[in-house]
Amino acid sequence: MTSTIRALAYLVASLLFILSLRGLSTQETAIRGNRYGLFGMVIAVICTAVALLFPEGEVAAAAVSFSGVGVLAGALGVGSVIGGLLASRVAMTSMPELVAVLHSFVGAAAVLVGIATYLQPGAEVEAARGAHLIEIYVGILVGAVTFSGSIIAFGKLRGKVSSRPLLLPGRHLLNLGALLACVALAVIFLRAPDPWPTQGDLSSMLTAGMPALLAMTFLALLLGVHMVMAIGGGDMPVVVSLLNSYSGWAAAAAGFMLSNDLLIITGALVGSSGAILSYIMCKAMNRSIFNVILGGFGADAGAKPAAGGSAAPAGKVNETTVEQVTELLLAARSVIIVPGYGMAVAQAQHPVKEISSLLLSKGIKVRYAIHPVAGRLPGHMNVLLAEANVSYDIVKEMDEINADFPSTDVVLVIGANDIVNPMAQDDPSSPIYGMPVLEVWRAARVVMLKRGMAAGYAGVDNPLVYNENTLMLFGDARQSVAKLLVALNAGG
Amino acid sequence: MKVGIPKEIYPNERRVAATPDTVQKMRKLGLEVIVESGAGDASNFADSVYVSAGATIAASPDPVWTDADIILKVRQPMFRPGTTVHESDLMKPGAALISFFWPAQNKELIERMAARKVTVLAMDAMPRITRAQRMDALSAMANIAGYRAVVEAAYKFGRFFSGQVTAAGRVKPAQVFVLGAGVAGLAAIAAAKALGAQVRAFDTRAAAREQVESLGAQFVEFKFDEQGEGQGGYAKEMSEAYLAAEQALIAQHAKQSDIIISTALIPGKPAPQLVTSGAVVSMAHGSVIVDMAAEQGGNCPLTERDKIVEKFGVTIIGLTDLPSRMAHQASDLYATVVYNLLKDVCPDGQRLALNLEDEIHRGVLVLKDGALMWPPPKPPAPRAGGPATPQKQQPKPVHVGQPTNTASPGMRIALALAVALLATAGILGPPEFLQHLTVFLLACVIGWHVVWNVTPALHTPLMSVTNAISGIILIGGMVVLLGRGASPAALGLGGAAVLVASINVAGGFLVTQRMLKMFRR
Repeated sequence: MTSTIRALAYLVASLLFILSLRGLSTQETAIRGNRYGLFGMVIAVICTAVALLFPEGEVAAAAVSFSGVGVLAGALGVGSVIGGLLASRVAMTSMPELVAVLHSFVGAAAVLVGIATYLQPGAEVEAARGAHLIEIYVGILVGAVTFSGSIIAFGKLRGKVSSRPLLLPGRHLLNLGALLACVALAVIFLRAPDPWPTQGDLSSMLTAGMPALLAMTFLALLLGVHMVMAIGGGDMPVVVSLLNSYSGWAAAAAGFMLSNDLLIITGALVGSSGAILSYIMCKAMNRSIFNVILGGFGADAGAKPAAGGSAAPAGKVNETTVEQVTELLLAARSVIIVPGYGMAVAQAQHPVKEISSLLLSKGIKVRYAIHPVAGRLPGHMNVLLAEANVSYDIVKEMDEINADFPSTDVVLVIGANDIVNPMAQDDPSSPIYGMPVLEVWRAARVVMLKRGMAAGYAGVDNPLVYNENTLMLFGDARQSVAKLLVALNAGG
Repeated sequence: MKVGIPKEIYPNERRVAATPDTVQKMRKLGLEVIVESGAGDASNFADSVYVSAGATIAASPDPVWTDADIILKVRQPMFRPGTTVHESDLMKPGAALISFFWPAQNKELIERMAARKVTVLAMDAMPRITRAQRMDALSAMANIAGYRAVVEAAYKFGRFFSGQVTAAGRVKPAQVFVLGAGVAGLAAIAAAKALGAQVRAFDTRAAAREQVESLGAQFVEFKFDEQGEGQGGYAKEMSEAYLAAEQALIAQHAKQSDIIISTALIPGKPAPQLVTSGAVVSMAHGSVIVDMAAEQGGNCPLTERDKIVEKFGVTIIGLTDLPSRMAHQASDLYATVVYNLLKDVCPDGQRLALNLEDEIHRGVLVLKDGALMWPPPKPPAPRAGGPATPQKQQPKPVHVGQPTNTASPGMRIALALAVALLATAGILGPPEFLQHLTVFLLACVIGWHVVWNVTPALHTPLMSVTNAISGIILIGGMVVLLGRGASPAALGLGGAAVLVASINVAGGFLVTQRMLKMFRR
């Protein structure tokens, strides 16, 4: 009876998850989609608990450990509270970090579940034992890579780890070697005797496949670290999405080892949709997904700014003042604002929104141009602008607005760099060559708000800075924007 | 060689094929020019001015037709009104005619002139290539027609075009709606805009958006998934459903418009009826429709050719001689493009040097000394129809921004490898594994399809929700915790797994919710 209910509940939960992903594809249905996901999760957890606590037949009934129930309730409660606090406190600009760190939790959970399953006495027939062990092994491998990779991604997004790609010599060979070692360890692991301890005797565990399993886990952790370390800052959005996909695969692997269809379905859903999302993003950046995974993006970037900074596009920088920009804006008929990560970092979206409202009220045509990979997550800018209540009728995507730059009087580039870099179109030797960019330089005037002359996240110099029609307004984006707002208010 | 400029005899035709200016240029080429007396009167070019430009004046039309080696005209030759004398019958064998000709619609005329053993170059058959732009009479005339359409509308429209706030009250700007953004449509947009109106424009070609917006007008988008999109464009007639959807959209905009200027034409077919009677009824009294397609049956069923009528309080202008109503300007431009062609086919002023390899010469050539040369082999048939047609023949651009389900070759190989690997595992593994594998692969396919159409703005929330859902690993922790005979080690590990997974679940859903709330309009 309970098993039928459980199967039905799993079916409902799976459908809810599918509806949830589907719902998230348009604005109108997104909120509903999120609720579907939540309902699905609640149903899944409750039904699993019920099914486990009241198993069929009297044989197993006695076996339910009450300490297990206690631990479950405690962990569930504490975890939910921590998660809730994290989610409600996080600033919208730190969203990418939060997502990355949450991925690492899934990876960690997969590893823990895998090891625990290995230690658990199973009822498998001898024939299935090999398959079961392989499932455990693969689950832990994927989980560990997800875990350490996400931690590094988190560090990079936080700025605690350098965003420059770390390129060890022969890194592809290193990765390959690590994978081969994992396969070798798998053989040892499969040949080891079962680890199930005789009552209370933990030593038998250590003599079984455990050392091999732990060694592999360690290797997988290193592999995850190395893989993400080798990926440059510019590709971080794709990496986060890719890790999202990995976390799904880890969950699916856990499903295989536990023979749990819901885990398999959900994991596969998340895994494949995450993969597609990564693919869509790669297309937006005109990069091959293998290129991103194999890393080393911006490999020349280390050398370039050093050489390029002094030699190549070096020219005169036109520095400007708040007063001059104010005049320009008030005299313009059409203005486009290009926000970038700098705006997010400085939390300047609210004053920027006020500037755009002010200009709009003066009859000036104002629009926002959003590059698909602006910020650290695609859609990041839309999230911030939505937070600042910018009407999304005037928020345009790159393809919609690129043709309008020539007829625009002033473009305000706020804390963006790589996404407005003309080298992506002009210079085949540039590491970002071929990436679609916002063609701001075609406008009559470009005003760049920038902290300093540093290169963007991809570590590539930007010749736009030296353009004749580019004016530079140096300073912290928030302060510059605030001053601009005051001056505009006074000027109007 | 003698060039003859006869007076046009078509009713209401006020243009002339040569101006004193081009006469002077022809003289410089070494050509003699003979102009029929009064040929330029309607365009305000007096005989005396032609004379001072170097032309001789013929008192009657006959010597112009009989003596000239090359005749320059606006309209194709026709019977003189009230007589049985056809203009072309007077041409001497071997002479040439350059004028609008519309060979597709004038088979009889072609036969008649072939019998005379004359050469005919049709201005309307000019190929649409860059080099031929300065000989493009259709565009030149369409430009004038578009401008004039606005002027005619303004004349019949009882209000200002521009909005004003005056002491005597507030004036709302006129709402002008232009159908078809070809040359004529664009000229109409520019003229209406210059008068201060608010202008919207409609065109089925997405490529027209940029041109419309560059003139400061608003583009009205039409979305309809006609089968075979991407090849048809307007060259074919669209299905009835397509037309109905178009009519509905136009009716909706017509209601808010004071002036409609319609320029939609299909080459060689009656004009599409875009403005329905219902749309006309819904317009405010005093509104004006200028139907520039009146010659091909009109874009509005209520249009009467060559007339200005009032239906349901709306003035409908069906004039077909719009360029001719600005005869001076139209003659000026037409004479120039005709001269440009003449210079191209007769560079030394001695004889007609037609080069059949030349795309322009071959394109405009209808008869060569009486031999039928039309239609030219390649490029295709000359454009029939009026002003707005040329660009309409371009294929529709493929809709951009639509995700394509094509994967890169690398991705395909990776997929194939993964499937092969899983298949072997399925065959070698226990039956239970095979069952799990089925579920797994089906779920992969669903996940694959579900997210293809996600809007870029929702990437972050989508990622965040999938992250929350992958917290389903929580179930795994529960199975371990509550399973049979959980050891202390399993308790510890499972507890930790449940802890981190539940952080993920709670955090993921909550943060997605927060994000989505901000997305409200």
